Amino acid sequence: MDELYLDNIDEYVNDHNKIVTYKWLSLTLGVHVNTAKQMLYHYLEHKRKESSPQLHATYLVSGKLEGNGQTCHHVSLVREDQLEDFKSKMSLIVSVHVYSVQKALLKDSGPLYSVDYDAVKDNLKNCSKYSSIRCTNAVPMSAAELQQFQDVQRAPPPVPESKTSVTNGNSSTASKPSSKPQKGIMGMFANKSAPKSQDNSKEVKSEQKEESSSVTEAVKSKQALKSNPVANFFGTQTKKPDKPAKKEEEVVALEQQHQRTAPEEEQEPAAMQSHKETKSDSRSKTKRTEVSDSEEEIMEKKKRRRIKRPEPDSSDEDVIPDSPPQLKTKEKSPEKEPEAVRPSHASSETKIRKRRKVLKSRTFLDDEGCIVTEKGYVSESYSETEDDFQSTKQAPHASIKAKTTSSSKDDEKKSHKKSSASSNKGTKQASIMGFFQKK
Amino acid sequence: MGSTVIGRGKAVRRSVMFSDLSAQREGSSLLCRPASEDQGPVFERTTIDYSPCTERYRLGERSFSRQYAHIYAARLMEMRPLLSERAKHKWGSDVLIKKLCDLETGEQCCIVGTLFKRMDLQPSILKEISEEHNLLPQPARTKYITEADELILEDELQRIKLEGKIDRDKCVTGSVIVIYGAEKNDGKFTVEDFCMADLPLQTPRPELGSDKFVLLASGLGLGSSKADSMLGLQLLVDMVTGQLGDTGEQSGAATISRVLLAGNLLSQSTQDKDASTKPKYLTKKTQAGSVEAMRLLDELLLQLVASVPVDVMPGECDPTNYTLPQQPLHKCMFPLSSAYPTLQLVSNPYSANIDGVRFLGTSGQNVCDIRRYSSMESHLEILEETLRLRHLAPTAPDTLGCYPFYQRDPFILEDCPHVYFSGNAPVFGSKLVKGSDGQEVLLVTVPDFSSTQTACLVNLRTLQCEPVFFSAFSADEDEESEMNVSH
Repeated sequence: MDELYLDNIDEYVNDHNKIVTYKWLSLTLGVHVNTAKQMLYHYLEHKRKESSPQLHATYLVSGKLEGNGQTCHHVSLVREDQLEDFKSKMSLIVSVHVYSVQKALLKDSGPLYSVDYDAVKDNLKNCSKYSSIRCTNAVPMSAAELQQFQDVQRAPPPVPESKTSVTNGNSSTASKPSSKPQKGIMGMFANKSAPKSQDNSKEVKSEQKEESSSVTEAVKSKQALKSNPVANFFGTQTKKPDKPAKKEEEVVALEQQHQRTAPEEEQEPAAMQSHKETKSDSRSKTKRTEVSDSEEEIMEKKKRRRIKRPEPDSSDEDVIPDSPPQLKTKEKSPEKEPEAVRPSHASSETKIRKRRKVLKSRTFLDDEGCIVTEKGYVSESYSETEDDFQSTKQAPHASIKAKTTSSSKDDEKKSHKKSSASSNKGTKQASIMGFFQKK
Repeated sequence: MGSTVIGRGKAVRRSVMFSDLSAQREGSSLLCRPASEDQGPVFERTTIDYSPCTERYRLGERSFSRQYAHIYAARLMEMRPLLSERAKHKWGSDVLIKKLCDLETGEQCCIVGTLFKRMDLQPSILKEISEEHNLLPQPARTKYITEADELILEDELQRIKLEGKIDRDKCVTGSVIVIYGAEKNDGKFTVEDFCMADLPLQTPRPELGSDKFVLLASGLGLGSSKADSMLGLQLLVDMVTGQLGDTGEQSGAATISRVLLAGNLLSQSTQDKDASTKPKYLTKKTQAGSVEAMRLLDELLLQLVASVPVDVMPGECDPTNYTLPQQPLHKCMFPLSSAYPTLQLVSNPYSANIDGVRFLGTSGQNVCDIRRYSSMESHLEILEETLRLRHLAPTAPDTLGCYPFYQRDPFILEDCPHVYFSGNAPVFGSKLVKGSDGQEVLLVTVPDFSSTQTACLVNLRTLQCEPVFFSAFSADEDEESEMNVSH
C-alpha cells in the first residue's frame, strides 16, 4: 500500500490543523474504517519516531466493566494519557483503536462529535459504505417500489379500519358530526361542503349497516379505482381530494355489490355524451368545476337519503396519511380529472338537472361600447338547491363574453368590474359609470 | 478462554455477555500498520424473522364522543373469568364468588372488581376551575399519595370501601383484582387476601442456535439545548453500524440484529410552547424546536437503517398523539430514512415477534404514571406489578391519557411476552420473572439515553440483558471514573 496516506494525514493535521477522526479519514480517502484506523496508528507511530511537533491522539476503548455488582459493556473515548488508566479498570478489553489524531490537546470531546457530524452530513448517502457490516435488507427502495409500498399500505389499512370503524362507530348514539377540516380548494367552500360531506359520510356509514340503494353505490363505485372493472371503463376515475380513505374502504368492502351497478352505469354513458357539450363551456377553471361537481354529487346523495343516521366521527388521521398519496394522484392525473368530472357531472345531471326559464338581468356591451343591462328570460339549468351558485356562475360568463367583443383593455377591465358589480346587485338601470366610458 | 455452550443437550445458562462474545471473536488488533491491499473485513448483519403485531394498538377511525366507562366495562368483563379461576385455584374451588349487589354481611366470599383509589391530591380539573374554591392550579408533584387515601372496589353495579390486608399505597386505580374476605357491619369489606390475574400463558420460545442481540434504547433526547449526549449517541450508532471497535467487536456488532428505539426521541425542550406565549412579531420566522430535532433524528436514523432494521416507537415528547395507544410517527417526517425498508415506525405500546421471541413494551408513560400514584419507586418493580396485574396501563384512562375504547381494552395482556420492557427509566434494570405455569419473562427498564448514556442489549438466545455504556471525556473531570452503572 502506498505510503501516500501518511502525507495526506500529515497535511490535514499539520497544515489544515484539522482533527482527523477515523471516520472522517475513511470517508475522505474512501477506505474501510478499519484501514483508516490503522492508517492513523501508523501515522502516529511514524511521527513519534521522527520526534516531530507534538501530536495528540484519542483512543477508543471498549470492554467489560464491572462495578456495583453489575457488568456492562463500556465503550469509551479516552485521551491518550488516560488510556492505560482506563484499560486497567476494565475487566476484559474487547477493542482498542485510534479514534482521532490532532495537533492540539483536546480537553473536551465535543469537537470530535462535530467533525464526525460534518463528515457524515456530507456523505449521507454512503455513510455505511465503509463500515464493516453489511445488511442485505438495507437497500433503499426506488421510487417505483416506494409508490407500490404506499399503495399496499393504503389498501390493507382501510380494510381493518372498516372493521374498527364498525366496532367503534356503531355504538355511538350520541355522536355529533365533527367538521372535518376540508383542505385546499374545499376550504373555500367550507361552510357549504362541511354539512354536505357530513351528510355524505352519514349516508356512507349507513351503507355499511344496510345494503341499500344501488344508486349511491353506483356513485361510490365510480370512485373505486382498481376494484371495479366496470368503473375502469371510464378509465379515469380518480379519488376526489375531499373524499377520505374511508370511502375506498367501504367500496372495497362492498365489492360484491358492484355487479348491481353495471346496468346503472350503462345508462350513464348515454347521458354523458349528450350533456358533455352543454357543460363544456362552464369548464373555465378545472379545479373549481371539479369542486362544484363533487358538491353536486354530495347534494345528490343528500337528496336521495331519506333516513338520517347519526354520523360517525371521522378522524383527521385518516385524512393526513392519505393526503400525500392523494396529492400524487392529483398531480399524476390532472388531465384525467376533467374527464372524470365530466362523466360524473353529466350523470348527476341526468338525475336532477332541469332547464327552466328564469327572469334574469343580462348585462352586455352594445355597439357603442356602453354597458347595458336588460331583463329577460333565460333558459337555465338548475338543481333544487344550487340556484344561487348557478346564477353567479352564469353572470360572470356573460361578462366574459362581453369582454371579448370590446376593443380597449381598459374598457374590458372596467366593464368586467362593472358587469360583475351590477349583475351581483341585479340593478335595473345602467350604471352611472357608463358615462365615463366613451372617453 | 471461557467457552459458550450452544445447544448441546441442556444448555448451561452461563452469563454470556456481549463483551465476552466480542472478545472471543477472531480479530486482529487495529493498533498496527495497515496491511497491504487489505480491504477490511465485511461482516453480514445477522438476519432474523420479524413480524410485528400491528393491529392491536392501531386506531382507525376515532370517535371521542364516547364516555370512558366503556373501557372499564370491557376490562372487567374480560378479566372477570380469569380472576374467578385464580380465586378458585388459590382459595379452593368451592369458594363463593359473588357480585357486590349479592353480598351478605359476614359471609366469607370473593369479589371481583376494579380498584379505585380516592386520593385527595389527585389533580382534578373540576377543582381547578371551580370558582368557589378559588384555588390556583395545583403544582405538579412527584407523588400524589397521602395517608388519607381510600381504596374502593367497583364492579358493574356497585362499589364498596376496602380495608384490611391490602397495601393501599401499592395499589393503583384501574387494576382488576379478586378479593377474599367478608363484609362487616359497617358496610366496608374487610380484606383477608387478594389476588391478581398474574401472568397469562406463554408460548415457549424456540431454541436459537446462535447468539443474536436486540439493542434497546430510549430517550435519545434530540433537539435539546445541551448537546452532551450527542457524542454518546454517535458512538452508539457507530458501534451498531460496525464502524467502531476492532474486528472482534465489529463482528460482534454484526450479531445485533435489530434496534428498538423506545420513545422520547426528541427532547422535552422541543415541547416548549414558547411560540404561543411570545408575541407574534418575535416568533414570525422561528420554527418549532421539533422541526430541527426531527431533521437530526432523520439523519441519525438514516445512518442506522442503512445497516440494521430499526423500530421507532413514539414517546411522550414525540410528535404524535398524546393519548395511549400512541400512533406511529408519520413517515413524511423521515424523508431520508423512510426510503429504506428497514425503518419500521411502530406504535406505543409495541408488540412484535422477533425470531420467535415475543417483545412487548411501552415508552414508559404507563410506568411513570403508576409511580406518581403509588408508593412504588423502582421502575422495574412497577413493571413487574403491571405484568402481574396482566394489564399494561391500569391507570389509563383515569390519570393517563387514553383513547375511549368501546368494546375492547387492548392493554390487557393476552399472552405472555418473553421480553417486557418500558422505556425512559432513570436507570437500567433487568430481571427474569418466572410464572406459575412455566413462563419466563425478561423485564427490562430501558434507561433514558440522554441522561445515562446507556442502552441495553438483549440476547435472544439466553434471554439476558446487558447494559452498554458510552462515555467520552470532558474538561470538567480529571478522573475518569464514570461508574454510572445502576445500583
